[in-house]
Amino acid sequence: MPDYHFKATKTLDYKRPDITNGYAGQTLYVNLSDGQIETKPVDAKTKKTFIGGKGYDLWLLWNAVQPTTLWNDPENALCIAAGPLGGTPIYPGSGKSIVATLSPLTGSVIDSNVGGYFGPYLKFSGFDALEIQGKTTSEVVVFIDGINEKVQIFETSGLPDNAYELSAILTEHFAEGKPRNVSVVSTGPGAKNTLLGCLNFTWYDPKRKRARYKQAGRGGVGTVFADKGLKAIVACWKTVTADTNNPADKARLKDVAKLHSREIVELDPKQNEMAKIGTTHLVTIMNDHDLLPTHNFRYGRHDQAPNLGQEVYRRLFDPGFDGCWMGCTVACSHGIKDFVPLSGPYKGKKVFVDGPEYETIAGCGSNLGIFDPHTVAEMNFYCDAYGLDTISVGTGVAFVMECFEMGLIDTTHTGGLDLHFGNRDAALEIVHQMAAGEGFGQIVGRGVRKMKAIFAKDFGADATIMQDIGMEAKGLEFSEYMTKESLAQQGGYGLALKGPQHDEAWLIFLDMVHNFMPTFEQKAEALHWFPMFRTWFALCGLCKLPWNDIIPEDNKDTAEPAKVMKHVQWYADYFSSITGIESGPEDLINMSEGVYNFQRIFNLRMGFGRREHDGLPYRAMGPVTETEYESRAERYDKQLSEIYKFDIDEKSTAEKLAALRKHREQQYDTLKDAVYNRRGWTNDGIPTLKTAKRLGIDFDDVVELLKANGVNS
Amino acid sequence: MIQVAGKQIEWREGMTVSDLLAELKDPHPYAVVRINQQYVTRPNFEHTYVPDDSEVYLIPMVAGG
Ligand code: SF4
Repeated sequence: MPDYHFKATKTLDYKRPDITNGYAGQTLYVNLSDGQIETKPVDAKTKKTFIGGKGYDLWLLWNAVQPTTLWNDPENALCIAAGPLGGTPIYPGSGKSIVATLSPLTGSVIDSNVGGYFGPYLKFSGFDALEIQGKTTSEVVVFIDGINEKVQIFETSGLPDNAYELSAILTEHFAEGKPRNVSVVSTGPGAKNTLLGCLNFTWYDPKRKRARYKQAGRGGVGTVFADKGLKAIVACWKTVTADTNNPADKARLKDVAKLHSREIVELDPKQNEMAKIGTTHLVTIMNDHDLLPTHNFRYGRHDQAPNLGQEVYRRLFDPGFDGCWMGCTVACSHGIKDFVPLSGPYKGKKVFVDGPEYETIAGCGSNLGIFDPHTVAEMNFYCDAYGLDTISVGTGVAFVMECFEMGLIDTTHTGGLDLHFGNRDAALEIVHQMAAGEGFGQIVGRGVRKMKAIFAKDFGADATIMQDIGMEAKGLEFSEYMTKESLAQQGGYGLALKGPQHDEAWLIFLDMVHNFMPTFEQKAEALHWFPMFRTWFALCGLCKLPWNDIIPEDNKDTAEPAKVMKHVQWYADYFSSITGIESGPEDLINMSEGVYNFQRIFNLRMGFGRREHDGLPYRAMGPVTETEYESRAERYDKQLSEIYKFDIDEKSTAEKLAALRKHREQQYDTLKDAVYNRRGWTNDGIPTLKTAKRLGIDFDDVVELLKANGVNS
Repeated sequence: MIQVAGKQIEWREGMTVSDLLAELKDPHPYAVVRINQQYVTRPNFEHTYVPDDSEVYLIPMVAGG
C-alpha cells in the first residue's frame, strides 16, 4: 500500500435538501482555481427546459464558457449529472451519470454517459449536477459526503496514478468500513499525456469484494479532468431504496418497474443472454453481416472473428451478478478474473479486467487485425487503468497501422515499431507509450484529426488519402460499426452532435438488413425520432439497453417494431410516476428535442454547427481503394448498373470506384437536406428561429447567435 | 424434436434454419436465431443445419449500439 497523504484545504458544510420527485433542486459548483465551493438553486424554467442529466450539464456549461474558450482554459467546466429517474434501484438501468465538457478532440461540447454509482450518490447527497471550473497545479480530490453533509477539497500526495489501484485505495479510504457507500471518479496517466482520456466511475461489487468501474470514454473528458489537476472525485451515500428519489406515485413506479424487470428476467435468457455474455454476441452477428470493422474499417468481415466472439468470452467472463447499478436485471457489465497481462507494469500479475464490451473488442481487436481475445483483454485493462478511451485508441491505432501498410509512415517515424495490422505487441506498446507520453504513442494520443495534420506536415504523407481513411468526424474517432452499406447509419454518425458515436442512432440493421426505411424521408424520420428518444435517456440518467436490447415477444407484430413502443410507454409511466409530471411517449420526444437543438446551437457557438461540419471520411460511405472495391465487386457492380444505371462494361476498377463515389457522396448530401428539413433546421444545418421558439430555447443569447449566423426566421 | 418459441417442431434429416422458419409460418424478417448457444445469422440460414433435440431461439431484432 503506498504511503499517501490528504490535506483538507476547503470545506463546505451544507444542509442536504430532501429529494423531491427525483430532484434535489440545486447543483454543486466547485472552482479549483480559488477553492470556491457553493450550491446553486435550479429554477423552474431550467428544470422544464433541460429536464436534468445532460440537459443540466449543457446549461451549466453554456453559462460557464465563451465562444473562444478552449478545452484547457480554466473556465471550461466539467459537468456531471444524474437525472430525475437516476438512482431508482428497482427499475433496470437507472444508474447512469452523464458527463459534459468542451472536448480536446473536437473543441466543442462532448457528452458521455457511464454506469457506476456516482451520479445517483451525487444526487442523493443533494445535487442534481456537479460543475467543476478552474484548475490547480496540485493534485486534488473533491469529496462529496452526502452522509455527513460536507463537500471538501483535499490536496493529496503519494496516490498512485493508475485508476485500477487508485479506485481501490480511495474506496477503502473513504468507506469507513462500508465500501458500497463510495463511488470514485478518476482517470490515469494516459489522460494527462494524450487527448483521448476517459473517466472511470466505480461501483462496489460485494461478491468479488472490489471496486469495479465503467468508463465515460468519449471525446477526452478524462483529459479535461486531468488538466484541471483533479486526481479524483468521490461521492459517499448510504442505503438506496425506491423511496430515496421520493417518487410522486410509488405504487405506479413499483408496478411499471416490476413489469420491465420481470420481462428482462424472463426474456434475456431466450434472447441475447446479456446477463451472461454482455454485448459480445454482437461480434459474430456483425461479422456475418459484413459490419464488423476490420483493418481500419476497410472490411466488415474476417474468418477469424469468431475467436473474439461470445463463445470465447462466455468462458473467459467470471460468472456472477454484474449490474453497474443496483438492481439492474440486464446485469451486462462482465469482467475477467485473474487475468495475467503479458506486458506493462502488471506483467505477470493477476488482475481483474472490467470488460470487454463489443466496442472494445472491435476497436482493439478486429479493427487492428488482432483476433486474439487475450490481447483485447490486455488492451482493455491498460486503457482503463491509464484512463484512455478504448474506442479512440482502437480507431487511432487502426489508422496508423493502415498508414504504415500504405507506406505513408515507416519505422523512422514510429520509433522502430512495426505497425503492420495484427502486430499485437506493437499495439500494446503504443498504449504504454501513450500513458507515458513518450515515443510514437505520444503522437497517436493526439487523435486521428491531429495525426493527419502531423503526418502530412512533418512526414510528407499524402493528405488526400489520409482524409479518406482517417476515421474521424468533427475530430472524434468513429465508434466500431461499418457504415458503407447503410446510408441511414452514415447519417447516424455524420449528423450526430458530438461526432461519430452510435449513441444517437443505430440504424444499420433496420436500414441495411431489414430495409425498413428505403426513402430519404423515412431515413430522415428515423434520424429524427431515434436521436430524440435516445437523448431522453441521457436527460433522465438511464441506460438505453433495457429499452431495445431485450424485446417483448409480441413486439414484432406492432406497427413500428424498431421503436419498441411498449417499452416507450413504460418509460413514460416511469417518468410520470417519479416526477409527477404526467407524460406520454410524445412528451418524452419533446423534452429531448429542446435539449438536442440547444446542443446543436452550442456547437454553432463554438464554431462547428453547420453543414460543412457534418462531413464524413469517404471510407464511411464506400470503398476507398481498388482492393476494397474488388473484394466486394459483385455488390458494387450490381449497385452501379441496377441502381445508378451506370454502364460497367469494359470499365476499369478505378472508373467504377470513381462513379460509385460520386453517387454515394451525392446520396449523403441529399440525406443531409432531408434530415435538416425534418429537424426544422436551415439548409446549412442550423435550427431556425421558429424551431428555437417552438422548443422554448429562444433565450436572448441564442436568438442573438442565430441572427449573427444569418438565421432570421 | 426441436423446441422453438415455445413450440415443438418435428425434426427431420437435413433440416436447415430456413426450412425451420418456413415451417413456423412466422413472417417476421428474423436476422438472427440462436441454436442452443450458437448464433446463426441470416446469410447462413440456408446452409446451417438444425440438430435434433436442439432449442432454437428467434432473436427478435438486433438493436445493437
Ligand atoms: S444494462 Fe448493463 S450497462 Fe446498462 S445499467 Fe444495466 S448493467 Fe449497466
